[in-house]
Amino acid sequence: MGFSLANIDRRVFYWILFIALMVPFLNPIGFPIKIAENTRDLYEGITGDSVEPGDVWIINFGYGVSAWSECHPGVTVCAKALLREGAHLILMGPHTDVELTYRHLLDTAKEDFDAATYGEDWVFLGYITGGESAIAQLASNMRSVYPTDHFATPLDDISMMQDVNTWHDVSGVLSSDTGDWGGYFLTMWQEAYGVPMAQIGIAMLGSTGIPRWLAGNYFGMSVGSRGGAELEMLIGEPGDAIIAMDSISVSHLLIVIAVILANVGLLLERGRGS
Amino acid sequence: MAYPTATMDVIGLWIGWVLMLTIYSYPLYKENPVYRFSEHLYIAVMLAVNLVVNFSNVMRICVTPMMQGDFMMIVPLILGIMIYTMLIPEYRWVSRYPIAILVGAGFGLGIRGSIGPNIQDAIVSTITRPTDGVAMAWINFLYIAVGLICSVLYFLLTYEHSGALQAPTRIGRLFIMVALGAYFGNTVLFRFTMLTGRAQFFLQVLKLIPM
Amino acid sequence: MSQMLKREVVYAITGIVTVVMFLEYFFFPESQSWAEMIRTWSVIIYNISLGLGAVRLAMAHSMNVQRRRENWAFSGVLLAGLAIMLLTGLAGYFMTGQQTNNAIYNWMFVNVYTPLGATLYPITGFYIFSAAYRAFRARNIDAALMLIAGCFVILSNAPVGEAIWIGFATVGEWFRFTGQVPGMRTFALVGTLGMIAYGFRALLGKERGFYAGGEE
Repeated sequence: MGFSLANIDRRVFYWILFIALMVPFLNPIGFPIKIAENTRDLYEGITGDSVEPGDVWIINFGYGVSAWSECHPGVTVCAKALLREGAHLILMGPHTDVELTYRHLLDTAKEDFDAATYGEDWVFLGYITGGESAIAQLASNMRSVYPTDHFATPLDDISMMQDVNTWHDVSGVLSSDTGDWGGYFLTMWQEAYGVPMAQIGIAMLGSTGIPRWLAGNYFGMSVGSRGGAELEMLIGEPGDAIIAMDSISVSHLLIVIAVILANVGLLLERGRGS
Repeated sequence: MAYPTATMDVIGLWIGWVLMLTIYSYPLYKENPVYRFSEHLYIAVMLAVNLVVNFSNVMRICVTPMMQGDFMMIVPLILGIMIYTMLIPEYRWVSRYPIAILVGAGFGLGIRGSIGPNIQDAIVSTITRPTDGVAMAWINFLYIAVGLICSVLYFLLTYEHSGALQAPTRIGRLFIMVALGAYFGNTVLFRFTMLTGRAQFFLQVLKLIPM
Repeated sequence: MSQMLKREVVYAITGIVTVVMFLEYFFFPESQSWAEMIRTWSVIIYNISLGLGAVRLAMAHSMNVQRRRENWAFSGVLLAGLAIMLLTGLAGYFMTGQQTNNAIYNWMFVNVYTPLGATLYPITGFYIFSAAYRAFRARNIDAALMLIAGCFVILSNAPVGEAIWIGFATVGEWFRFTGQVPGMRTFALVGTLGMIAYGFRALLGKERGFYAGGEE
């Protein structure tokens, strides 16, 4: 019998996947979501006694539009949480589409940003590049890499930035990454000067980041969209991540079934062969 | 974000929806001219955005300060332009000077910053015994300690993995495979979350689910 | 003299910059004026150099159009799109200080760049799925371990895993917080050691590949 999964046109499976991803949005299931310890540590690190009004926090948008569904829900929750504690936010990012991400955050955390004042409660510094050198320079002299904010206003003319220029003036860093930029903040801010840092990264950074959380380099960590969903549970405001969890469940189940079927096929092949 | 009402915004939304389908025509159907058109369009737009954003950034951090009196900024400006000599074969060597600065800065910063979290903190965390007396905590502690030693031995490439090294390097390889498997599991979440976002967008534009 | 300018002086610059970065951090942590200057220059050089790829690509596609090579029409689309976005973006920047203040640039940024960018990368999700049923087979114990770890992590990342059986979440969590830790720490550790070794080789002039035209 020559039938095997490998003989089926793979486009059939792609269509199955594409349709299966959409069904849970039309018919939500609502699986419960357990909160991981690393996510809880992150949330506790940005709320309550961990944050004083007036503390300055950096949020690094280290992700582009393709990773919005993965990183943005977690960033939204953290921005909301910090603003509600009275912290001041410095928003910046190394992607050329960082302005789109900034606008998206103003939309997803609309109520909190509408209640705050630009220049007093938050500032958007915009695009940065230059790798480790840029982040190291940001720690020692912000105005050398950001003489103005994204809207060309000199930092000295922005009220919340008047006393902020080095790592001394920053209480913590939240880096949301798809790649290296969180690592630069880790080496140039957390390791060099002991600035508390947490990662709101893509799921793959969960593999490299969890050992760092265990070692105490990160005070908390949110892993991908699952972490974003957990943060939304913690703040009590369901958002895009929780909505997407059902679809993610279906897709993950499909891939595990695919792996199992492939290995059942392998066992059958070996059985036939022997 | 609510469903847009302005005409140009609605047109833009639908154009984005169509462009998404043109990209998905490649895996769901086959490679076709429509997909290639969208692919080339994306590269064009991405490159242009890159150029414009980087240009404005150079103006902000270099040219404007220079015009305001910081004349030393002419040096990095010239060094940066020297990189473009890479395009001229007989003068390619000139581009080595700015690259030398980038490499030196990256290496100097890398050494001083990486040793702490990647080596020191990792080793300290591995050898720090658990504070609670729970059996599972000790099992995990031993697992991580043995695993780290065997896995590092696996990457010891100066000696052949035979004799006394054979068993620990073999065990180390198994630990590495477990780590790669977990990494694969996380990769699946990442890739499928992105796909999920597109599936959601597909339905939102059709107004089958709220935006 | 010419060879010295092309090689030895370059290595000397690399070495001096490295040492400055290193020494000022440890011995002059509060001032670091030389290191700061070099870092600022690095950032500016990096910014300017990012245009190199775009220039190369534009040159290659221009050649396609000029010589009417296969699929030259798509190269034309690329060049036209690049020209429109570049001109409108620069116009917006020079006239208002913000490139996104130009309506055409902003519209294309939001309605062309965003959906295309958000769609191209997730295509890999399809390929992972096809790889799962074609290639992810436990042919030996190494592959079996990898697949078992992967499947448990997959089912612990998705809420459905716990709904099916609590063990998926428990074991998956173990893999995430303990199982993968030795391997991941190893990658970081040996990667750092490798970076240090490679960097010293570069300083000593033994690694020259990244100095454009290292064969000279």
